[in-house]
Amino acid sequence: VLHHCHRRGSEVLLGHLSHIHIYEQGGISQVGGVHPRVLTNLPDGTFSLAEMQRLVRGDDDHWPVTSLVCIENTHNIAGGKVLPLSWLDQLGTTCQELGLPVHMDGARLFNAAAALDLPPARLIRGCSTVNVCLSKCLGAPAGSVIAGTAEFVRSARRLRKVLGGGMRQVGMLAAAGLYALDHVVPTLSRDHALVQALATAMVETGSQVICCDPQGAHTNILLLECNPKIVTPQDLCHRMSQVSDDEAEATGQRVVARILPITDSAVRLVVHCDVTEKDIQMVIAKLKYVIKELDGKM
Amino acid sequence: MEDDGAKKEVMVTSMKAEYIEHSIEVTHFATSDMEAQGLGMPGLDDAADVPTEMTVSVEEQNPNDGRLEVMELKHSIDKKKKRIRAYSQKFRKEWIQMGEFQGWLSEGSAPDRAYCTVCSKELLAGKSELLKHANGKKHKKRLEEGHINMTVPTDLSSVLDGTAIPHVLQIVDLRSDTVTQPSREMKEAMFDAPVGDDVFSEDPTVKALEEKVARMLEKEAALFVPSGTMANLICVLTHCWGRGSEVIVGDQSHLHLWAQGGIAQVGSVHHRSIRNLPDGTFSLQDLRSLVRGDDPHWPVTTLLGTLCNELNLPLHMDGARLINASVALGTSPARLVQWCDSVSLCLNKGLGAPMGSLVVGTKEFITRALRVRKVLGGGLHQAGMFAAAGIYALDHIAPRLSLDHTNARAIAQSVSEVHSSAITVDLKGVQTNVVLLHCDNIRVNAKKLCQRLASVTDAESEEMGEQIVVMMLPITETTVRLMMHCDVKKDDIKAVIKKLKYIIQEYDNMMYLEYK
Repeated sequence: VLHHCHRRGSEVLLGHLSHIHIYEQGGISQVGGVHPRVLTNLPDGTFSLAEMQRLVRGDDDHWPVTSLVCIENTHNIAGGKVLPLSWLDQLGTTCQELGLPVHMDGARLFNAAAALDLPPARLIRGCSTVNVCLSKCLGAPAGSVIAGTAEFVRSARRLRKVLGGGMRQVGMLAAAGLYALDHVVPTLSRDHALVQALATAMVETGSQVICCDPQGAHTNILLLECNPKIVTPQDLCHRMSQVSDDEAEATGQRVVARILPITDSAVRLVVHCDVTEKDIQMVIAKLKYVIKELDGKM
Repeated sequence: MEDDGAKKEVMVTSMKAEYIEHSIEVTHFATSDMEAQGLGMPGLDDAADVPTEMTVSVEEQNPNDGRLEVMELKHSIDKKKKRIRAYSQKFRKEWIQMGEFQGWLSEGSAPDRAYCTVCSKELLAGKSELLKHANGKKHKKRLEEGHINMTVPTDLSSVLDGTAIPHVLQIVDLRSDTVTQPSREMKEAMFDAPVGDDVFSEDPTVKALEEKVARMLEKEAALFVPSGTMANLICVLTHCWGRGSEVIVGDQSHLHLWAQGGIAQVGSVHHRSIRNLPDGTFSLQDLRSLVRGDDPHWPVTTLLGTLCNELNLPLHMDGARLINASVALGTSPARLVQWCDSVSLCLNKGLGAPMGSLVVGTKEFITRALRVRKVLGGGLHQAGMFAAAGIYALDHIAPRLSLDHTNARAIAQSVSEVHSSAITVDLKGVQTNVVLLHCDNIRVNAKKLCQRLASVTDAESEEMGEQIVVMMLPITETTVRLMMHCDVKKDDIKAVIKKLKYIIQEYDNMMYLEYK
């Protein structure tokens, strides 16, 4: 963002539920002096292109200068949603006409690519720059990579420097990243399949307290919607991290499942390469038990 | 005769102009980006001081008839000034057409270099040196066999012999103590370390490192960060939490000069610089006078770089090489930071870890520092791997730091013993693992010295029987810095000394012109 919005008085258009806007401590403003202008994220992670065009600033001393459009793929808060290819292509064309660069926060880009069974390069065709994380589903201990033109990378090195991101013998981290790209990327659809197994099992319970949408679970993230009258997301997370004696007797297992609340009404489960099929089966068993508990309260 | 004389005069004049143009140059060095400067140019002072009269004998080939002539060039002297001038011959394109050089001679990678395309070797652009090379057996043989290699050489290609197979080079990298690589034992420690997600504060090895360092410095808490730059940035931003803050920082400090103005650029904090003295300190009196009072015109001074208990202002120490300081003084690091509210400490320098630094301070400070680390993007996940390297470094490498200091002194001493006028060193100033070599800026400047150290000439490899490349860094126009570190072995020290002595000899022998 700081590269694209290098001039004073820049503005970036981004989704109101994007990670950049919600989970980065307002860094683009705090550290970069850039103004955010939000577009309404739709449930599928996209936003209206018409709205975007409407919000592009013209030439007026009252207004900051629109310098960048940011998108997120897969979209985290939307539940790991894969942005539709046709929308991406349309966005690319539109922004090109508007003379605006597009940056993709592709922290989980490889999951999107695996879901669509396409090379990641196809998904970022209309994007000027992209960020991919090695440390998430790819399993590396740390690290992300940003990509763009050679000129961008030169500028990015400077920005990385001033933020203190330049490290020394990081080949060790890079090696982990390379390994991840070679060996872990091909296994991503397994994570997606496990999420589907979880989602299907949830739907089968027919619960009215905990609901989920298997078709909406595009990748390795599953959102479980909670009926707020019965249980809050925080309560559910807490319950899932405990084991009662009755539960142990009934299920024949003592399992703690660590999950996180993500919105006022939903919890998020993220499946990854460290989760086995057996783990998922145990989580399903536990969830079924907990759901029965909660259903009983209705 | 008269005509000849007049012609000669004219030739002398035109050659004089050429001679000056080629050999005396105004150079302008920026201290920051040496790469952007391209390769070395002969370094001399202001062209305005070029004397207007002096006599020089130069052997030149008459471009018209090819005869070698001794020309006497007359310049008139600026009698007010006593000057010593030196020149190094620049490569001249006309030579390529000449008999002895045709078919193999090419420009080198620097104005005072030439390149033999047949031997793939860089040579000094002195005519006699080139002739000597032309008459060499190897060269003649290769010329016959028709070897041509037109690629522009890098410095290292100068050590390729006639068979184009590189010799076994000894390369000693003294550019910085950051070049240290993790040893096998350190890697094993990294491999075995238990890790977790440090962003969730669940990495036990990171916690262990943070506790270890906090204890060592007798502070409440510490925070692991990716770099020293980020560590200092975090500390300043954490201290200067409110709008309109100012920090007092040494005008030669790393924070002021080498952090891209980060605290201002990224943190909106104002730098107020105070003059650093040669020993790294600054005047406490100056400090007192800089501290701002309560006036809306002025920012509020919130950070200082030295003892300021009395002024009731927090003190931060950029302790990137704190352990070196503590070893040199024979005092515990905790004692050195006794009055500091925060400290930054690097694991990735002399301590030899691949990356990482620590921010150290009170619990409350570290809590806020954690927020700042977050916004800068410095939170790593399974960072325990690197924390393990840091722990290993503190346990096994810190205790041997005095070796680096001893080695630095050995090199400094060897330079000092030569009593050269071209390259000098201040022995008393060598307190830790850093040695500064000063160039006379007549025969050699910092950039040239570094280039020379990093290349090997024909003559040198013959005379020394070895091919040694030493890497150092120019830090000003006339100062070269070398840093000792744990990857430098005994053999390397000997090689460095050998090379330095050889090169210094070269400079001392260099032709110079002295006149009164």
